[in-house]
Amino acid sequence: MTSVILQQPTEAKAARKANRGFIHGLITNKKAMTGMAIMLVFIGLALAAPLLFPGDPSRITGMASLEPDGEHWLGTTAKGQDVLALTIHGARSSLLVGLTVGVASTFIGILVGLASAYFGKFIDEGLSLLTNVFLLLPGLPLLVILAAFLPPGLGTVILVLTVTGWAGSARVLRSQALSIRSKDFVAAAVVSGERAGRIMFREILPNMASIVMGTLLACVIYGIGAQAGLEFLGLGDVSTVSWGNNLFWAGNEGALLTGSWWVFIPSGFCIALVAFALALINYAVDEVTNPRLRKIRKPATTERSAAQ
Amino acid sequence: MTQTRFFKSARIAAAGLAVGAMLLTGCAATGNKTGGTDAAANASAFLTIPREDMGTFVQNFNPFAPTVNPMVQQSIYESLLVFNPAQGNTVPWLATDWKAADDGKSITFTLRDGVKWSDGQPFVAGDVAYTFELQKKLKGGYEYLDGVTAQGNKVTFNFNKPWSPALYDVGQLSILPKHIWSALADPEKDANAKPVGTGPYTEVDNFQAQSFVLKKNPNYWQPEKQKIAGIKMLAFAGNDGANLAAANGDVDWAPQYIPNIEKTFVSKDKDHRHYWFPPTGAMINWQLNTTKAPFNDADVRKALSMAVDREQVTKIGMSGYAQPADCTGLSGNYETWKNSQVKDNCTWTNHDVQKANDLLDKAGYPKGPDGKRTLKDGKPFEFKISVGATSSDWLSVANVISQNLAEVGVTAKVDSPDWAAVVAGYETGNFDSGIVWSVNDPSPYKYFNTTMGSATVKPVGTKTSDNYHRFGDPKADALLAQFAATTDQSKQKDIANKLQEEYNDAAPLVPLFSGPEWGAYNDSHFTGWPTQDNPYATLSVRAPSTVLVLTSLEPRK
Amino acid sequence: MRFILRRLGFYLIAFWASITLNFLLPRFMPGDPVSRMFARSQDRMQPEQLEALRKLLGVDDRPIWEQYAGYLQNVLTGQMGVSITRFPTPVTEVISSQIGWTLLLGGTALVIAAVVGNLLGILAAWRRGGAVDSALPPLLVFIGSFPYFWLAMGALYLFGVMLGWFPIRHAFTDGLEPAFTSEFIGDVAAHLVLPALTIVLVSIGGWMLGMRNTMIATNSEDYITMAEAKGLRPGRIMLRYAARNAMLPSVTSFGMGLGFVVGGALLTEVVFAYPGVGYQLLNAVQGLDYPLMQGLFLTITAAVLLANFLVDILYVRLDPRVRSN
Repeated sequence: MTSVILQQPTEAKAARKANRGFIHGLITNKKAMTGMAIMLVFIGLALAAPLLFPGDPSRITGMASLEPDGEHWLGTTAKGQDVLALTIHGARSSLLVGLTVGVASTFIGILVGLASAYFGKFIDEGLSLLTNVFLLLPGLPLLVILAAFLPPGLGTVILVLTVTGWAGSARVLRSQALSIRSKDFVAAAVVSGERAGRIMFREILPNMASIVMGTLLACVIYGIGAQAGLEFLGLGDVSTVSWGNNLFWAGNEGALLTGSWWVFIPSGFCIALVAFALALINYAVDEVTNPRLRKIRKPATTERSAAQ
Repeated sequence: MTQTRFFKSARIAAAGLAVGAMLLTGCAATGNKTGGTDAAANASAFLTIPREDMGTFVQNFNPFAPTVNPMVQQSIYESLLVFNPAQGNTVPWLATDWKAADDGKSITFTLRDGVKWSDGQPFVAGDVAYTFELQKKLKGGYEYLDGVTAQGNKVTFNFNKPWSPALYDVGQLSILPKHIWSALADPEKDANAKPVGTGPYTEVDNFQAQSFVLKKNPNYWQPEKQKIAGIKMLAFAGNDGANLAAANGDVDWAPQYIPNIEKTFVSKDKDHRHYWFPPTGAMINWQLNTTKAPFNDADVRKALSMAVDREQVTKIGMSGYAQPADCTGLSGNYETWKNSQVKDNCTWTNHDVQKANDLLDKAGYPKGPDGKRTLKDGKPFEFKISVGATSSDWLSVANVISQNLAEVGVTAKVDSPDWAAVVAGYETGNFDSGIVWSVNDPSPYKYFNTTMGSATVKPVGTKTSDNYHRFGDPKADALLAQFAATTDQSKQKDIANKLQEEYNDAAPLVPLFSGPEWGAYNDSHFTGWPTQDNPYATLSVRAPSTVLVLTSLEPRK
Repeated sequence: MRFILRRLGFYLIAFWASITLNFLLPRFMPGDPVSRMFARSQDRMQPEQLEALRKLLGVDDRPIWEQYAGYLQNVLTGQMGVSITRFPTPVTEVISSQIGWTLLLGGTALVIAAVVGNLLGILAAWRRGGAVDSALPPLLVFIGSFPYFWLAMGALYLFGVMLGWFPIRHAFTDGLEPAFTSEFIGDVAAHLVLPALTIVLVSIGGWMLGMRNTMIATNSEDYITMAEAKGLRPGRIMLRYAARNAMLPSVTSFGMGLGFVVGGALLTEVVFAYPGVGYQLLNAVQGLDYPLMQGLFLTITAAVLLANFLVDILYVRLDPRVRSN
């Protein structure tokens, strides 16, 4: 009896210690630093956009389709809008939607996953069914229908993307929570009478930190990419400036057909860079939590040398 | 050892795949970049036309289908007469002559001799009578039509009231063969996969989901005008694909909207590529919901109209392709009907920010200290402009208008959900304002009726499919009744002039620009296209006048 | 066996829930298909004809419970009704005539991405720190981060228009009659290259990384060390021991991927004008074509469920631990 009770605090303490090591591991990881650096640059630019490019970047003027030059570093669109201003202002909406969708999806996923894993039996069956039904719903058509039905605006886009995105994270988090649920320290906590909420959020959740982080990053990437896809089809909020909308207008104005590559490339590139930065951070998290995935610094001369 | 062996085999496999892929592509017939100067090649070539809104074709050539296949009503079936909007003239087609009765309650058409259906059967008056019977039964409409009688080579349409606009309504309906359609169990649902028509190209060949061919009608009544070998339709899922094909020289006719047409299309082959956008499309209006204040005030409507810079709207929103509207409210389709007095003394469709401000001040909508106007109840002067998200050119138009209005202290926000939602709002009268099309019949009667006729006004909440802005003018009603009653051209013109004066007074809508009839072509394979100098038809592929182009084109020698 | 029965039971419930949602969703959209058609045709349709059209298309005013009951009955008997936007073609005909191309495109791309991605992943894990492991994952992930349509349009313009190496639209050259000849098959293959290539590029990074990470975890297992100690050839160990075990998560992903092939091909078909069912889905949704929408959703749901079920059965065969549970 006493050994069981004694076991619990040391395991929990070890978990907390692991978290500190985790953060330290991230900071020294090259991939993580590169990824975070890129993200900080974008976030900084997005916040500073009204200072760098005051006024309305989508104001229609007559200086159409100018090539990049000293005054317009990335040229202008067919409606005479400065492409660099559009790109940097676009970061605001795209990052906002991406981050909100990511956080919301992950949050719902955590709630559903933890509840499923902790309560088990009927709640688990019910929530699993719900999760799987949402996973089975055809994503893009659902997006199109919801986007058409609800009033246009960023709120709708965020809602629509969260509704279609939460199921994936819920599934992953549930399986992870289940495996932690079966561990002894959780059983000890249950027996010692801790409240359900406390067990879920203060025992199980901290041990899932790296998976949650990975899920969060994946959801943010999903949010940014899906928003761009929706807007490209013309179903997003056409009145905001965002990377997806920039590409939508580029297509409608025949940017590639007229050879105005400078209109088409920047927004796509930015989406790729941000997604890539987040993916880098994700892999860094994987590496730090799973030492086997870490980059091998010494050449593998001692392993399998006989095979050569 | 094994690892290097593995990699070696992997490399060989990859090389093999690459070579295999190249061989396969070599086998395939790619690249239609051959020049179009070979006369023999042109003589056997098909007139290639893209269709940008269907994605895939279904082998259904039934003219009663909700979405009719391309070329059904233009090349397979024909009508009694053809109206050419580019010049305003009417070309006799299956009918050689027509005469309206003096009381305006009937029209008699004399049918052309020697016309045969593509299966060899003769075209008779009974076919015309049967077509209208079937049309009324299946689709409704034609409420003014009492009956159609056939006698020898004459067909008489009897109306239950004097109805002069009927001429074009009955004259441009596709005529169907009675001997085929009366034998069908379910004419509405029949796929009509191998159609029988009187048109120049009726024989379906090589039907695929992505393209189909129509070959010559062996029994056509104008064989000397069947100079091209056939028509090939290509399916695309959007403007982008169709524009790419046009830019690449893979199609001869490009009737879709092409952005920046000089750079995207013409510049690739200046000698052979041309375009012409006659302003014969419907008038595109900015409609204000006249059941809502302040839009029920004609002065407010006129002031808002003066705030709009139509030059900027057409230049930026429509790439300069459209013609700004004037106070007659009529599009270029009605050029011959325009009241020159109204047109010349026009004021409220000119861009005049000063006058707009003055008029709004006078009407009782003053500017606040922040430069923004307020309504009579103190609320800010704000409203929405609705437009469907997929119409990017009209979206740009709405954005320009919104920018223009800011200059007179009015805030307009562009609202762009899917067209389904927008139209649903229009139909029930639940909208502030929106960019909307209008009717474009050969006769201006319907246009004025749906613009300011009380008969078309339905209360808010009741669904309607025209006169969304719900404006009715009793003076206009009287004039419209007179117009319908007379078949005398000069009398009609007089009444139309008066209608335009009434329109100028009441300003029921804010007319923006004449919708251009898009049309571009590549004449490296075929010549004989209509142009500004030779406007025998427009370059539309979905209009009744299309058949005029099909029977005028010939292969380049 | 019990495992399979449980899964089957679950799938049936999920199927019912999905089709009910598929029934309800389109009806939440404002408007009705006839008004939508009228708006699209703008000035070419006569307003008087709309009522007759409504009657013809069976755009119903019945109470929603009646409609639902009728819908369930139709689903169970396999009748999907007549499409509204492509009237009077039956929905089954619309879908069956075009689904082949979507399956060809999606299936080919999926298979290539999975096979090549997994092979690369195995290689990267086996040669840790080597050229493949260091350079390829970041590169492929970067390429895969680009929005799909951006990559597709770029590839279309670069390889199709400017360089002219590949055809720029459709599934085969217009004018050719489909037949099982080498000429036709070669033509189809040529038209398949660009669309499939873009899909492969976008997804291959994920496959590679997934396999690599699983392989690394597997490599550290005792039985691998045992096999090495016993002197088995490294290639044999890599493929017949490590990869076989590391493959299990990939099989699950492949199954899910198969199911989503139909819904996911939309952007490809729009950009490359490929005559498949994906674009029809967008068209049906925007045109409020209830029967076609329902038919397509049903097809996608059934495909996903079937694929998942097959994967579950396959999993049972591949992983004995599941059997003994």
